[in-house]
Amino acid sequence: MKINNRKGYFGPYGGQFVPETLMGALQELEEAYKRVPKEQKFKKEFEELLKDYAGRPTPLYFAKNLTKKLGGARVYLKREDLAHTGAHKINNALGQALLAKYMGKKRVIAETGAGQHGVAAATAAAVLGLQCDVYMGTIDIERQKPNVLRMKLLGANVIPVEAGSKTLKDAINEALRDWTKNVETTYYLLGSALGPHPYPSMVRNFQSVIGKEAKKQVLEKEKRLPDYLVACVGGGSNSIGLFHEFLKDSSVKMIGVEAGGHGIASGKHAARFSGGREGILHGTKSYLLQDKVGQIMETHSVSAGLDYPGVGPEHAYLRETKRVTYTFATDKEALEAFHFLSETEGIIPALESAHAIAEVMKLAKKLPKNKIIIVNLSGRGDKDLGIIVGKEIYA
Amino acid sequence: MDRFQRTFEKIRKEKRIAFMPFLVGGDPNPEKGLEILKEVAKYSDGLELGLPFSDPVADGPTVQAADTRALKAGVTPDKVFEIVKQLRKETDIPITFLVYANLVYQRGIEKFYKDAKIAGVDGVLVPDVPLEESGQFVQAAKHADIRPIFLITPATNKERRKKILREAEGFIYIVSVLGVTGARAEVEPRTIQLVKNLKQETDLPLVVGFGISTPEHVKTLRMAGADGAIVGSALIKYMEPYYKTPKELQKKLKAYLGAFQKASL
Repeated sequence: MKINNRKGYFGPYGGQFVPETLMGALQELEEAYKRVPKEQKFKKEFEELLKDYAGRPTPLYFAKNLTKKLGGARVYLKREDLAHTGAHKINNALGQALLAKYMGKKRVIAETGAGQHGVAAATAAAVLGLQCDVYMGTIDIERQKPNVLRMKLLGANVIPVEAGSKTLKDAINEALRDWTKNVETTYYLLGSALGPHPYPSMVRNFQSVIGKEAKKQVLEKEKRLPDYLVACVGGGSNSIGLFHEFLKDSSVKMIGVEAGGHGIASGKHAARFSGGREGILHGTKSYLLQDKVGQIMETHSVSAGLDYPGVGPEHAYLRETKRVTYTFATDKEALEAFHFLSETEGIIPALESAHAIAEVMKLAKKLPKNKIIIVNLSGRGDKDLGIIVGKEIYA
Repeated sequence: MDRFQRTFEKIRKEKRIAFMPFLVGGDPNPEKGLEILKEVAKYSDGLELGLPFSDPVADGPTVQAADTRALKAGVTPDKVFEIVKQLRKETDIPITFLVYANLVYQRGIEKFYKDAKIAGVDGVLVPDVPLEESGQFVQAAKHADIRPIFLITPATNKERRKKILREAEGFIYIVSVLGVTGARAEVEPRTIQLVKNLKQETDLPLVVGFGISTPEHVKTLRMAGADGAIVGSALIKYMEPYYKTPKELQKKLKAYLGAFQKASL
């Protein structure tokens, strides 16, 4: 493994693979990101937004019924589903939209898969007085209708993307193209820990509030660190947000759960670490699902938020250094977990988060009762009811 | 003297501008694509050849549609290399690849440039590899005796241009608009200014692309002192209705490309 110590790299992964037209904008962003979040005024405004507007800190909930039913480790849920707009995405959207405002930008653009980031971006833009355009693949528009309606209500313009696989990957292509055209006036509010530097570290830092709160909360409740952290990994922002604060605590094991779709052998999945290899897409070098020559493959997952062929570069690095273990849950397992959590705890999880719950259902049983698991319940499942109802009809 | 030097020396002597069309290799399929390239080469001073990619973020809808057509027809980098080999039997004008980073990376950076050289390619432009990431790509290009081509845009400041000019060979590809490829109504004044500025900064030939779509644009660029003009999306769009009637396409191309040729004089 060739270690790259250059700026914007995590070991050999990361970088700034964008056309020359965007380099000026990335440099402007880097410069602003280094300077602005350190300013007292920004800090105060951001903290207030997180607390009074987004509803932070989110609770760390001991899932008593789930723990009892699984009969093993003690399971805690980090309740990002209780944050304003119903998912962790709001943390990053508020941070970046505020940064955009401080940079003097009037317009933000965003891509969205499940629609959670689109809703968060539209929300942040509304509260901060920015214009907002959201790119979304037409397949995702179809399967995440409630979120499309929410974005529109929030005053955002949802731009359908017909190209390619008509999902998150293509929405990112279009957002990048828009940014290339309007680079002087527009801020690209990227929603995951992906893309060219400085996005992967910036998004991670805005999301690291999840792990910071969870650490404080678990120390209060249990007087010790957890044994396991579990989170789903699409682009990887909720997982890196939970993991980052614990990376130096070597006793804490971490598991990232990708979308196994119909299973790895079927080829219809989005498990980059099980079926992919190194490559370059959307500004970053990381793991990718691709064919032999390097064309990007179409992915499949029941969950739109995990249905993406690439993964954040820091995850590739954490896997390579064996700090984090990556596994996957299939559509079927995620759907079972979706029902299980709804019925045992009265909490309807997002299908994305249900992948993490599916892993917990396997893991907790195997562990003794004195072990502690924290799972990131990254979003709530209201947006997925249409998919669930559809599945039941066809089951 | 390489093919770029020979071509641009001749152009400068004749006080004209090089007409360098862009097409996607293997569009609409490998066989027709080769025939079209042979025909287009007859009217051209150089060729830009795109390797079809699933996610061409620097390109607009016309080129993306061409990429998709070619990919559906089974075009791979191997097939484009083969097309260039065949084309080389008929033409000696410089050929430049426009290829996204992942296709180069997956073949192996060194191998990609070596294979390109063997096929008869003269220059390679990787649009999603900016100066900061270009180390291994430039090194491999130099090993293989391929010219690394770089983009400069109206948003590239002077200090950055200086750094790019240190690495660039063959010619400088000036991006005439902020944005992706695709036909535009006119050449922006700041593109003209960029050409004028760059003329003071380098002896490398200056070739303008992105949005260049009419003979009038080519003329404007010639007057501004550019050494070459790349026409891509407009040409692809023009050809699309005639893919099924090769005889008619040949006739149409003669008139269409002839007008550009004339504007380049």
